[in-house]
Amino acid sequence: MLGKIKTKQEKGEIIAYSESAVVNNAAVVEYCRISMAALSGSTAGLLGLTGLYGFGFYIFAVFGLWAMLLLKAGGQWKKYFISRRNLLTSGFFGGLFTYVLFWTFLYGMVHVY
Amino acid sequence: MPATALHKFITFIGLMSILHTAYSAAQHRSYLRITEQEFIALPIDILIQGIISLFMVMYGVMYIAGDFKEIRAVVDLENKSWETLRNLPSFQIFNHRGKSLAS
Repeated sequence: MLGKIKTKQEKGEIIAYSESAVVNNAAVVEYCRISMAALSGSTAGLLGLTGLYGFGFYIFAVFGLWAMLLLKAGGQWKKYFISRRNLLTSGFFGGLFTYVLFWTFLYGMVHVY
Repeated sequence: MPATALHKFITFIGLMSILHTAYSAAQHRSYLRITEQEFIALPIDILIQGIISLFMVMYGVMYIAGDFKEIRAVVDLENKSWETLRNLPSFQIFNHRGKSLAS
C-alpha cells in the first residue's frame, strides 16, 4: 500500500519521506548513470583521448549528467531528491570502471585497428 | 513526463551519429596512415559531432529511464480517503442471501 516511511529531523520540523518513491528515484538515477558511463566511455574512446584528458572527460560527463537530471526535475529538485550533492557523487567510482572499460575498448576498435 | 516516440527517436539519431563519428575517426586515422603523418588530434568537426551526439543520447536515455516520484509521504497520503483504511480484503463478502431473495 504505502511502503515504509523514512523521517528526517530538519530545523525542528519532521519531514516524512515515502520509501518507495525514494527507491524509485534512485533506480532511475542509477540507470541514467550506468548508461552515461558506457556512452561517455565510448565517446572518449572514439575521440582518441588518452591519459588525463580521458579522466577529465569523465568528470565533464558526470557534471553534464548532474545538470541534465536537475533540468529534468525542473528546478524543484527538493521535491524528488533528499540531497543534491549526493546526486552528483554517488556511484562515481563504480561508473568510472564502466567508463574505462568502454574507453579502452572503443579506443582499440577505432584508433589501433 | 513519460517517454514519447520523440525521445526514442532522439536516442536512435544520437546512436547513429555516434556510429558515424566512429567511422569518420577511423577513416581519418587511415588517411593519416596512408599519407604518413603523425596523429595529433582529431579534426574539430568530428570532436564536436561526438560530444553533441553524446548529449543527445543522454537526453533520450534519461527520459526512457522513467519518471521521478515525489518523495514527500504527504503527497501519497493526500489521494487516499478514510474509506481506504477501512477496506480489508479478507473481510469482503461476495456470497450472501440477497442473491436467493432476488431470484
